Amino acid sequence: MIQKTYIFLIFIFCLISPIFAQQRFTVSGTIRDAETGETLIGATVRIQGNSQSPSTSSNAYGFYSLSGNSGEYMVRVTYTGYQTFSQKIVLNSSLKLNIELKTNKAVLDEVVISSRSRKDENVRSPQMGLDKLDMKALDNVPVLFGEKDILKTIQLLPGVKSGGEGNTGFFVRGGAADQNLILLDEATVYNSSHLLSFFSTFNSDAIKDVSLYKGGMPAQYGGRLSSVLDVKMQDGNNKEFGVQGGIGLIASRLKLEGPIVKDKGSFMISARRTYIDVLLKASKDSALNTTTLNFYDINAKANYKFNDRNTVYLSGYFGKDNIGIRDLFANDWGNTTATVRLNHVFNNRLFSNTSFIYNKYNYTIELLDEDNNARVSSLIRDYNFKEDLQYFSNKHIIRFGMQATHHRIAPSDISTSGNSSFNPSSVENRYGLELAAYVSDEWKVSDHFNLLYGVRLSSFSLLGPGTINTYAANGDIESSTTYKKGDFVKTFIYLEPRFSASYSINEENSFKASYNRNTQNIHILTNANTSSPTDQYVMSSNNISPELADQVAAGYFKNSSDNSFEFSAEVYYKWLQNQIDYKDGAELTANANVESELVYGKGRAYGLELYAKKTKGKLTGWISYTLAKTERRFDEINKGNYFPAKQDRTHDLSLVGMYDLSSRWSLSANYIYSTGNAVTFPSGKYNVGGLTTYYYTERNANRMPFTSRLDISATLKGKETKKFSSSWNFGVYNALNRKNPYAIQFRDKENDPTRTEAVQVSLFGIIPSVTWNFKF
Amino acid sequence: MRKQSIYQILFLAATISLSSCEKVIDVKLDSSANQVVIEGNITDQQGPQTIKISQSVPYTDSNVYPAVTGAVVTVTDDAGGSWLFSEAQPGNYSLASFRGVPGRTYTLHVNANNVTYTAMSTMPKSVALDSLSVDVISFGGNENKQVQVHFKDPGNQINQYLYFMKINGVQAKSIFVENDRFTNGNDISSVLFYFSENDDEDLKSGDQVEVEMQSIDKSIFTYWFTLSQQTQNGPGGGVTPGNPPSNINNNALGYFSAHTTERKTLTIE
Repeated sequence: MIQKTYIFLIFIFCLISPIFAQQRFTVSGTIRDAETGETLIGATVRIQGNSQSPSTSSNAYGFYSLSGNSGEYMVRVTYTGYQTFSQKIVLNSSLKLNIELKTNKAVLDEVVISSRSRKDENVRSPQMGLDKLDMKALDNVPVLFGEKDILKTIQLLPGVKSGGEGNTGFFVRGGAADQNLILLDEATVYNSSHLLSFFSTFNSDAIKDVSLYKGGMPAQYGGRLSSVLDVKMQDGNNKEFGVQGGIGLIASRLKLEGPIVKDKGSFMISARRTYIDVLLKASKDSALNTTTLNFYDINAKANYKFNDRNTVYLSGYFGKDNIGIRDLFANDWGNTTATVRLNHVFNNRLFSNTSFIYNKYNYTIELLDEDNNARVSSLIRDYNFKEDLQYFSNKHIIRFGMQATHHRIAPSDISTSGNSSFNPSSVENRYGLELAAYVSDEWKVSDHFNLLYGVRLSSFSLLGPGTINTYAANGDIESSTTYKKGDFVKTFIYLEPRFSASYSINEENSFKASYNRNTQNIHILTNANTSSPTDQYVMSSNNISPELADQVAAGYFKNSSDNSFEFSAEVYYKWLQNQIDYKDGAELTANANVESELVYGKGRAYGLELYAKKTKGKLTGWISYTLAKTERRFDEINKGNYFPAKQDRTHDLSLVGMYDLSSRWSLSANYIYSTGNAVTFPSGKYNVGGLTTYYYTERNANRMPFTSRLDISATLKGKETKKFSSSWNFGVYNALNRKNPYAIQFRDKENDPTRTEAVQVSLFGIIPSVTWNFKF
Repeated sequence: MRKQSIYQILFLAATISLSSCEKVIDVKLDSSANQVVIEGNITDQQGPQTIKISQSVPYTDSNVYPAVTGAVVTVTDDAGGSWLFSEAQPGNYSLASFRGVPGRTYTLHVNANNVTYTAMSTMPKSVALDSLSVDVISFGGNENKQVQVHFKDPGNQINQYLYFMKINGVQAKSIFVENDRFTNGNDISSVLFYFSENDDEDLKSGDQVEVEMQSIDKSIFTYWFTLSQQTQNGPGGGVTPGNPPSNINNNALGYFSAHTTERKTLTIE
């Protein structure tokens, strides 16, 4: 079925392509940084001719392609932070033009916080709900312990809610934490957090580009309901060797990069490690020096350009966390990803990328008490093949391709040694196959009207081998069937339409609208608010239907003062189906019948997002505000009524400001305010078993107190020489030392056991930090 | 289950060391109408067996729970037996000459203020508590003493256990509940992790500890396991709290448990 559709799509494409290609010539090539050879993503290319001046932007591999009637043209390439490139060309045959852009030193010194290719891209592009995180802001925004982190910085954008104080978990437009597709060089990162979620798996030294899609998801992405976070690693300098690093309060970083063959290939390797435990080990306190608490990660990438048509990229990530207490307990977890990509330019209009991807997330828990020793291990592993083709014509960029992913989930293997009270056991592996084919078209209908529309056909199959149970509503096994390897247990097929359109009134004002449907077949079962290292993954099955989301959004976009102010207002409404919760007293860990513990319901989320940004000048920054509601409904919970989801927060406000004081000093600050999380507080109490026990009426009907926090930082640039540059970053997290609520607990009063009291737990008071960064 | 408590400890340690702090706050809470609470226990020991009937109170009231008096309380079993409980003290309905038999299913019938409540519970086979010992854990800057229970889990059945611990006659405010999902048929040495709000109330030499081990049925396990999960505040604040699923009908709070019981005492060295 899928294969047929794919062949059909190629067939259609072959039919239409000659129509677009009539009597026209093409200029195409790759755009790179002149100093480092890094490909530049999203640079604007325009060819100005007498009758027409088509424009485009370079794709994720720096490739561009433009066509026009024969004649003379002026090629102009613009990219924020770089000098504009101009060259005259004569189009009387198709030609190849690789372009290198020089950085604009003067521009770099004044902070420009826009990573958008075209300054008016946010007005022009039909894409909605897209936020590109610019790495410059990332360097300046103050964060906890001074450890810059893309996942914490995106939480300052509208529509993105933090998973909790200092936490890298995030919720997008009412979605759950497991409904974000997080990609690192196209490989899925299942658990994006280090150290109980205080840090993310992304080492920002190694990151080149971060895009977050909150809505209007393009058809090439699929598999998660609420967002796509597409993170791309740097390629490495292909001109000269370089070393970059930083020494911080929590961790140190070191990056090496350089050419493999000058101008042909390069490598980049970046590593990071914490050293809290090194300090703990030095402690004389036996309790502290027997505690393990660390993480490390390595990003590595290499590329080699065989010729103008063929480039190969290899990239990998390996990260690991270790926590534990000697003789008692040890837990480690981590992600591994590896991607091999082949770029092939079929002709000057057709660009292809073929990816082979491996990714794995696993954890082990060891109980080290002799009487109760056990080692529990669990993993989820994917093999992924993606073929993505882009066809550039005058008014269209057609994108089509397919994707095949094989999943394996090993829920839990328990092994023991000696006289343990635990029995060795194993929960059966589950296998799944996801297939998808897609086609989309970005169409410049007119100067005012742009369309991005497409469709994704996706399927998911639960595969054998395995013994598959079907459960009744009460959790009893209704039937049980044993399948052989390669058997299809259950298959779901969905058609996911994707559509966005923009209408620009003039160069400064536009309206946009979008609709998209998404499906999800890998689900996390968690009873904590955000991701925990021991979250359980389950696939869609005969018991679990795929999660579905439909989202509509509309927005108004405005730029002013030569695009130095950007403003946007977006509204969205989202319908969610087949959402998953679990029954009271559910035992999720190492449970072969975990699917019997689940309940299914629906959800709805809607909101308004306002975003104003100043991108030029001494003072830059943004204000984002979100007004939102997020609700869920389950027959078994809250008497079947809608209730606020735990990530429901009415107001979220972020202010980010960066100020260039002098050529050496820059200051920055951010302030956040958010309504407290929806929580369930008791309305009564009673006594059972000699314990005060609380009586609850409605789910999540109460609110935590609001959160508000001011963080500030200052950066001092060291004396710069041709060979060496450095900077000091001084930060203060929670500068007003406000005790923000993390959790509220109820207990008997200590000095008067006849009364109860509510206790607010706060995590971080005022925390200063200092980081030294260098580059040579 | 045990794993979760270790998580809780570790998380507490991490957050405490990262300058976490606690403060008592005023929260605005809804008040609900008083609910009937039934706490019924039938044991394999010679009586009195007691069924307590009380009411819940609004959160802001003091911890004094009004007794429900004048109820008619009977217990029947699947062998045709029927026993009428009498109100010994207000809200306490008991029967001295009664002893439950493992393997039998008991049904509680309560008629209070013209509402009838029923619940069923099957008394599991008795499992002997062999001994108690002290397990010393180096944690949090001092040698922490914990009580360990030792017994042999029967391999031919599914077992659930609930423990109550008294330290110098005062009940520890923790819920200890486990089943044999991972440990069926083995020699069990479970640690009853207990951390008091104040360090000085942790177990120390000379403390008298009494442990009661109950063999409980599946629905009672679910009841206590749900409660125990809610009291653990792991990363992100833990499980959304709710009323634990009761085996009593008509929206009564509480439970009716037919269980066997074993007791042992230990003096901490």
